[in-house]
This record gives sequence, C-alpha cells and structure tokens, in this order.
Amino acid sequence: MQLIVNITVLAAIYALLACGYVLIYRVSRVMNMAHGELAMLGAYLLYTTASLFVGHPIVAIAMAVVLSLTVGVLVYVVLMRRMTGEMVLAAILTTIAIGVLIRGFVVLIWSGAQQHPLQTLNFSNPSIALVGGARISTCAALLVLMTVVVYGALFAFLRFGSWGIRMRAAGQSPLLAAQRGINLNAIYALAWGLSTLTGSIAGMLIALDSGLDQTMVVIGLKAFAPALVGGLDSLVGALVGSLIVAGAEVLAIHYIDPLLSDVVPFLVLLAMLIVRPWGLFGTREELDRV
Amino acid sequence: MSSQPRASGYFRTSYGEDLALVGTRLRRVSLALFIATLILFPFIASPFQLDLASQVFLACVGALSLMLLTGYAGQISLGHAGLLAAGAFTVGILFREANAPFWITLPAAALVGALLGVIFGLPSLRLRGLYLAVSTLALHFVVIYLGGEYEARRGFSTGIVIDPPRLGKLFISDGRAWYFILLAAAAATLLICLNLLRSRTGRAWRAIRAHETVAEALGIGIAGYKLLAFVISSAITAVAGALFAYYRGFVSVEAFSLFLAIQYLAMVIVGGMGSLLGALLGAAFVTLFPYVIESALLALPGAQSYASLLFAVNYSAFGLVMILFLVLEPLGLVGIWHRIQSYFQLWPFKHRPAAGGRR
Amino acid sequence: MLRLLTGALTGALAAVALACPTVAQDAYVVGVSGALTGPAAGTNAPPVEGLRLYVDRLNARGGVNGKKIQLIVLDDQAEPSKAAANAKRLLTQDNVRLLILSSLSSTYAPVIAETKRANVPLMLMGAVCPKEVYPPAEALQFCTTAYAGGYDSRAALAFIKETAKEPVRIGFAAMAIPLSRGEIDYAEGQAKTAGLTPVDKEVIPPPTADYTPFATKLKDADPNWIFSWAPWVTEVKTFEALRRLGWEGDYVAWAHIEAEAELARLKDGKFYVIGANSLFQDNLPIHREIVDEAKKSNVRYPAEQLTEGWIGGLVLEAVLTRAGWPTDADKIRAAMENVKVDTQGLRGGPIEWSKDNHFRTRQYYRVYRWDPAKSAIVQAKDWVPYDVK
Repeated sequence: MQLIVNITVLAAIYALLACGYVLIYRVSRVMNMAHGELAMLGAYLLYTTASLFVGHPIVAIAMAVVLSLTVGVLVYVVLMRRMTGEMVLAAILTTIAIGVLIRGFVVLIWSGAQQHPLQTLNFSNPSIALVGGARISTCAALLVLMTVVVYGALFAFLRFGSWGIRMRAAGQSPLLAAQRGINLNAIYALAWGLSTLTGSIAGMLIALDSGLDQTMVVIGLKAFAPALVGGLDSLVGALVGSLIVAGAEVLAIHYIDPLLSDVVPFLVLLAMLIVRPWGLFGTREELDRV
Repeated sequence: MSSQPRASGYFRTSYGEDLALVGTRLRRVSLALFIATLILFPFIASPFQLDLASQVFLACVGALSLMLLTGYAGQISLGHAGLLAAGAFTVGILFREANAPFWITLPAAALVGALLGVIFGLPSLRLRGLYLAVSTLALHFVVIYLGGEYEARRGFSTGIVIDPPRLGKLFISDGRAWYFILLAAAAATLLICLNLLRSRTGRAWRAIRAHETVAEALGIGIAGYKLLAFVISSAITAVAGALFAYYRGFVSVEAFSLFLAIQYLAMVIVGGMGSLLGALLGAAFVTLFPYVIESALLALPGAQSYASLLFAVNYSAFGLVMILFLVLEPLGLVGIWHRIQSYFQLWPFKHRPAAGGRR
Repeated sequence: MLRLLTGALTGALAAVALACPTVAQDAYVVGVSGALTGPAAGTNAPPVEGLRLYVDRLNARGGVNGKKIQLIVLDDQAEPSKAAANAKRLLTQDNVRLLILSSLSSTYAPVIAETKRANVPLMLMGAVCPKEVYPPAEALQFCTTAYAGGYDSRAALAFIKETAKEPVRIGFAAMAIPLSRGEIDYAEGQAKTAGLTPVDKEVIPPPTADYTPFATKLKDADPNWIFSWAPWVTEVKTFEALRRLGWEGDYVAWAHIEAEAELARLKDGKFYVIGANSLFQDNLPIHREIVDEAKKSNVRYPAEQLTEGWIGGLVLEAVLTRAGWPTDADKIRAAMENVKVDTQGLRGGPIEWSKDNHFRTRQYYRVYRWDPAKSAIVQAKDWVPYDVK
C-alpha cells in the first residue's frame, strides 16, 4: 500500500512539472528546458517572501505565486519573444542558457546552502496515517491535492475560458489565429506565465516537504520524460505519462536496484521514442520514417 | 570548401587548384606565420598558459566533431558529454583491467565511440529536431549511469587513475609534450573535417541539413549519411575523451555532466554554426571564458571575499553570454570575424559593391 | 562601432586577465583548492573560510616567524579536473610550498598525482581522510579532517551496542558515492562481528527528489537502529523521510558541520550525531573566540561551521613555526612529520603527526543528541579514544 502512496506522490510531482512543459509546447512549439530552474526559482521566491513576511504565511505564499507568474511572463517578453522564427536548436539552447543563468543567479543571491521554507513559514509537516498501514506527509498530500486542482483548473480554462480557447487556437494554427485577431504575443506570455506558475507550485511544495536546494533542477529534467511519454501537447498525456514513469521508477527502486531511479525515466522515454515518438496522446508531427 | 579568393587577378587553372585549401600566397604566408607562432608558443609561455592552450586544443577536437554533426549534418545532439565519457572510460577500463598501452586504447576508444554513434544515431532515422535532441539526452544519462556503476562495482572509490602514456621507457607527462600532442590532434581533426566536408559526404550532409525531402529526392541515402555523421562525430569525440583521460591522468563520472554537453553546444553556437573556424573560435572562447571572468573578478578590490561567489558568477555570465549570442549575434564569433575581415578589406569603403560583387 | 569597441574591450580584458597575478616574495605562500561553490560546498566551503579567518588573524598579529602567510584560494567546484587544473596552477605558477585541499573525495586522486610530481606536501582539510594517511602513511599526504573511514563505523557501532536496550536490528543508509558505499559495507561487516543484526542497506543516489521510496525499503526491513555515513543531505533527508513514514527507531548519523544547526531544527530526541569535533553549544573558550572572530569579519557562514578550518589554521601555524624561514617544500614536510597541535577542546585530543602516521595517534569520538525535555543539545556520550594503528 505504501508503494501505491509513493507512486501517487511521485506521479503528482511529475504531473505538476510536466504540465508546464506541455502548456508551452502546445501553444508555441518551444521546449522549455529551463522549467526545472524556473520551478526552483519559484521555491526560492517563496523562501524569500516567507522570510520577509514572517507571521503572515498566507501573504507570503500569495506573493510568491504572483512573483513566479511575473517571472514567467518576463522571461517570455524579454527573451523568448526574440527567438520566434529561429531554428529549433537556437530556441532550445536559449532556454538552456536561461536555465544556466537562473542557476547561477540563485546561488549568487541565496547561496547554495540548503534552506527550509517550512521552518520559515512556521508550518509543520506531520505524517498522516492512511489505510493499509501506509503513511503520507501533509505536504505530500497537499501536493497531490494541488495537482488535481491545477489540472482541473487547466482543463476547465482550456475548454471553457475565452483565453483558454484562444490558447488552443494559437497552438493549432498560429497563422490563422493571428488572422482571427488573437494577440499571439499575449497568448505566449500567458502560456509562459501559467507554466512557470504551475512549476513553481510544484517547486514550493517539494521545498516545503523536503527542503530546498539546487537538486530540484534534476527533478525538473526528469519530469520531462513523462511529458514526452504522454505527448508533448496533451495535458491528459502528461497525467498518464507521469503515472507510468512514476510507477516504473518506484517499482524499479523497490524491486530491482535503487540506483536506477535516475535512469528509469529516461529509459521509459527512450522506449517511447522508439515505439511511438509523439507520445501516447500527442499529435503526430513531421516525423519521417525510414 | 574553397571560398572566393580575396585577391584579384587570381585565376585557377586546374581542379586541383580549385580544391586547394590554401590558394593564394597571402594565405600561405599567414598560415605559415600562424603555425610558427603555435610552435614557438610553448617556449615563451608560462606553464599555466601552456595548460590553458592545451585545454583549448582538447576542446577544439570535441567542438569540431560536434560542429560536423550539428552544424553541417544538422542533427542536434545533447549527448556529447556521454560520448566523451565513453572514450575516457574505455581508456580507464582497458588500462585498469588489461594494462593496455595507448596505441590500443585510443583506437579502442574510437571504436567504442563509433558503436555508440550508431546507437545514438538510430533515433535520428525516425526523429528530428526536438525529439532527436531528447533521445540523445536520454542516452547521455544511460552512459553516465553505466560509467557510475562500473566505478562503484569495481571499487574505484574516487575515480580511475591512469598512468601517463608510454613510448617505450619514456613517460609523456611534460607540459610541452602534451601541448604538441594536443596541437597535433586538433590539427589532424581539422584536416579530417575539412576533407570530409570537401568530399561527397560533406555535400550530402549539407543537402540533408538544407532540406531532407529534397535531398532524398535527389537520390542521397538519408539514413546512411545520417548514421555516418553520428558515427564519425562520435568516434572523434570518443578519441577526444580518451585524450582527456590521458591528459588529466584521471577518469571519473562527475567530470562528464550535462553542463559539459551544454558547454560544447555553446562552443558550436557561439562560434557560429556551419563553420569549422567557428568551432575553433568557439572552443577557445568557452574554454578561456571562466578564466577571464575569474581574473576580472580578482582584479576588483576586496577580491578574496568574492572568491566563493566565483562559481555563481561564472555560471550566470556563461548563461548570459550564450543568450546574448543567440539573440543578438546568431552568426556567432565567425560572423564577427568575417565582419572584422570585411572591415579591413573594404577600407576605406564600408559596404561591398552591390552588383557583380560576391560574398 | 559599438560592437568593435566591445570586442576590443573584451580582448584587452582577456589579455590583462591571462597575465599572471603577483605572488608576494616575503611571505609563506600556501595554495588552497576547495569546493567553494557547487554541490559539495555545504561541507567544504566553511572550512576554507575558517582557515582564512584564522590566517587573517594570525597575519594581523605579525604572522609566523615574522612573516605573513599568503593564502591563494581557488575554487574547484568539487570537480576532479578543475581541482587538477588548480593544483597544477598553484604548484607550477604560484610555486606554493604547501597545498591544502578542501573538496570532495573524488578530487583527491588527480591532486595527489600533481603534488607527487612537484614533491609538495598536501594537507586534506575538508573532506574525509583517505586510508593513505593511516600508518604506514604515504609521504606527502596529511589529513586534519574529523572523519575517517573505518574508525567512524567502529565508533558508531560501539556506541549503538552500548546504548541499545534490546537486541539491535540495524539498518544502513549510504549515498551512491564510492566512499560512502565502501564505509557502509565495512560497517555492515563489522556489525555482524559485533553481534548486531544487519537487516537492510540502502544506497541512495545523490540528486534524489524524494527519499520516501528508499526510506520505505528501510522501514520495511524493520530495524530499530539505523546508521548513516554519507554527506549530510542524505543522512538527514533519509531520516526525515523515515519519520514521515512513521518509523520510530533511533538514528545515528555522522556529525557533519551542518549538524549543530540541524539538531535544533529537527528537535528529535532519537537522532544522534557522532563526530570528532565538539559542538559550539559546549561554549568553550575556543568556541567563543571563533564566534567573536567571525562576527568581526562578517563571514558568510555560521560560526559553528568553521571548526575544521580553524583546526587547519592551528595546524598550519604550528607547521610553519617549526619549518622556520626561509623554507621550502621539504622543510615543511619534515615539520609536518613532527608536529603536535593542541586543539584546545575542538577535538577530544591533540593532533599528532609522525613519519608513519599522518592522521593522528588517537581519534576521539563524541555523540550528541537533542534533548526535547531541556530543549537543547546534550552529550549522549563523551570522548571515546581509538588508537590509530
């Protein structure tokens, strides 16, 4: 039973991070390799606001959320906007470079030591007992809950919200959408903002659960595999992909070898790329056969 | 490829002359001067500068191979660090297990590289762009994992130490000796790349990069040439990794992080895509960059207290420079170089003549 | 035009930058390579700061033998090739007579190779002491660090055996780096001979997002004691994950420099840290001295993390005093082989080096834990000596 709980928590982490990749890719066909770093930045922002607004945890959290949204929008407006129309490699490398910049920046400002936002916020993280003798910590439970909420909100937004429909349109055919009067730049900025927001929420919750340091970047990279497995432009795919990859990882750790935990997401990714490159639920793209 | 000559009144009267790498007398003279400088350098430089130069040459080999793959054949690869690791580990494993000398380990590294090249290249037959990059990324992690497992299971707690290569009784460990060896390696790689690009293979790669479907329609075997690009590039990279292992005398899996792959990609991008000169310039730039930053920081007052921030500043500066080049100077250092060249060539004019003017 | 100017400026900067910095002639020149930044910085950067603090104070008081000590500090980010490059630079360009290394154990091999080539002694200050400094010691390697393979496990197991009130089922947690794995394997073997029952051993890769799966496996084996010898992040995160899963047993971890602050944060009465350094809560005169000095100099790290560096400084002063002036690498090495340094309470006893023993003649261990009743850190076991043979 504990295994199922572990899989659920890990899948929730991956899903929250994966939906960021999916949002940006679906709307603008750009792969954001800096997502892990942006999530980490969000968590550090929470640490800062928590230290600033001691005694007002709700304010701190709200501020951190708003700040991370702003950061995402800024990244698009200042940098990614200029990369439209350039070749794929250049766009990927720009995001990688942004990631490197953010990593250095974070160490510069906050130093590489481990931080504990949980302590700064004065929350506690007791473990809850579940059925079957399994246990889950409060923050992890909160993480699973937030994943459900975020995904629900995203689905509703994309389905029914006017800007959501515009985002889908921009993703399907940018040219027609632009002709229709949809402000593509605003859409892309919104996508980047939302992506950074969801990533930051994931980062914040991970930091609350188990501490904050530079290793969060690796989680961001590993979360890329579920996004691809499910299909880079499908939110449903991100969910399903996260479950698959998390399941594979936890089971591999438990039954085969704990050291595989880093490689398993990528092995699953490779398998998927060989069999079905566009993922389980993604749309077929210009991929040729030999 | 022979570009247009810079001198006037120069006529080529045979195919040989047309294909020649160094055509004009000016070119020959400047090349000779350049080579002379390179050869004399070790006798006037400090050991530290010698080490820097050796590192630059080592980086050149890797950058050239990546430029072949990405700049010319158009296949994105994020797995470069994994290939370097493969070459280094081949040397380490063969040395530890079989005490093999360098004239066995180097070819073995090339072979391993070629094999891995096939594996890394197989996805390229089905995928392009983004997906290809991701598959190479995944393979990088697999290679690193295997290397780490070897280190752990065979009990090399802090990495594999390698003796310097031996020629009979002579150990090659002198700074100057290494300088010349690595200079020779870089020169050899450059020549290989130049010749490859002037040949049928090079033309096929350029066609594939420009437009795959058209290339296929022209009768170029896409699959074969793509795999060939991966194989050749990986073999050269693995040899670079092997040289790295011998130069440092040490192999450990931490040295081959994803950041290393990013650095090599930066060399290619910053240098300028599609140009071998770009690979060389990019390699020099990226290798020397951290040292420049370090010296610049240390020149500021109150330097010692900044020392702990150095890494972060390095990282941030590196990211910033990459972004600046990508956004502002997509042609890279080669673009800047060509602009400087044009400036001096055209002076006192500013622009090339519009009609009838080439390049 | 602007571009040309920027290019020229960069070129000039590069030219200036690559010129060699000046090295003082009238001072002891000591090279330091450390993991000042990067993943291993948490454990390896504060010792360098502590050393710098000590040397600054020493220089302000006139130095050693009337000469000042010049420290040249380079960052290697715990990367072996960078450490090797730093070593090469310090040895060949700056002509240091003594090299100090405070970085991850993976940097040892290349740096040792470089110092061997230059015949300059190497002092390891931040990370674990390798077996080469135990008798019979390798000529050029010396170590002041608190923790060391082999003895740590023996001390921890002895403590567990002594403290446990019922038969011990012991679990182990290591990080997937070779030294940690090796030590835990050794500890497992020792546990069997000591009469404890090893039930599980978990090897956890470094950048793990979630320690719960590993903790689950450990918990499932149902140990009542767990020993962990790994970088601090593994030790503490495994413990926290175990507690989240509802495991109630006792946990012994090696006391890295982060331990003191973390004990106060965790507030768990069954979390023991075993180490060779005394914690600042003992409030000895030497601790107050370090705190004062740190406050004056505005050091980036909390004072309690500066112990290793301070000890390194004490040893450095003793060595250079003995070596005299003028000096060279051989004289320094000879001095190091005969030094005895009083640690003034920072360790359980003095650091004594001899020709064969570059570690210390006796290694002392203390165990601390958090007492929830007193809301403070208390000693669970006072100094226990182990003869180093």
